[in-house]
Amino acid sequence: MFYIGPPLFGFILGFILGSRIKTEPDSKIKFTIGSFLVVLIVAIAMAYELGTFPFYNDLPISTGFIAAIIGIFAGKIVLGR
Amino acid sequence: MSTILKIFVFPAAMLIMCLGILTILGGHITPGGGFQGGAMIAGAFIFCAVVYGLRENPFKFSHNFLAGMESVGALGFILLGLVGLVLTGAFLYNVGVDLYSTVPPFIMNLFDYPDPIHAGIIPYLNIVVGIKVMVGLSAVVIAFLES
Repeated sequence: MFYIGPPLFGFILGFILGSRIKTEPDSKIKFTIGSFLVVLIVAIAMAYELGTFPFYNDLPISTGFIAAIIGIFAGKIVLGR
Repeated sequence: MSTILKIFVFPAAMLIMCLGILTILGGHITPGGGFQGGAMIAGAFIFCAVVYGLRENPFKFSHNFLAGMESVGALGFILLGLVGLVLTGAFLYNVGVDLYSTVPPFIMNLFDYPDPIHAGIIPYLNIVVGIKVMVGLSAVVIAFLES
């Protein structure tokens, strides 16, 4: 059974934080789409190593962690201009 | 700060924030909770604020954002407590679990957190406490950096 609690609230909290990401256009450090892709791959590896909470038997990865990083990216894309 | 730090810190801060969110979400079932998770998120923000400075910090925590989130956290905690007070007579009674059978079933189902152990309102309390702690610690550091 898939439990909706951690993914839902992880996405909401991540979205709130991601909406505050506003990179400076004149900054010397550029974060391209590729760097965000690397962060996503590292996050998936971290989520797999973290595993689920005790008594959660839905997926082998941490769904709250994945939802949080997806929420951060979604918040950055939608509101973080 | 050095270029290496400036390249490393922003992606690392995003991952630390995710770890903080995970700590908040697992507060009812694993070590950690709202305060610890909120402190981790604030720590990630402080990491960025120290390395990039407030002006170039990619996480723009404006005054309005901080005030709004602080209000959401405080009001959420008070409202969750008041629900218990109204329904059972005890402030912060766990209406999602209902140990003494005083809460109507439809309200109990409303506050039942969808997870295998059915912790009731405890995860929601962790979330609002996490938001409040995140804002509180971030605001302290912003005030120090601005002065």
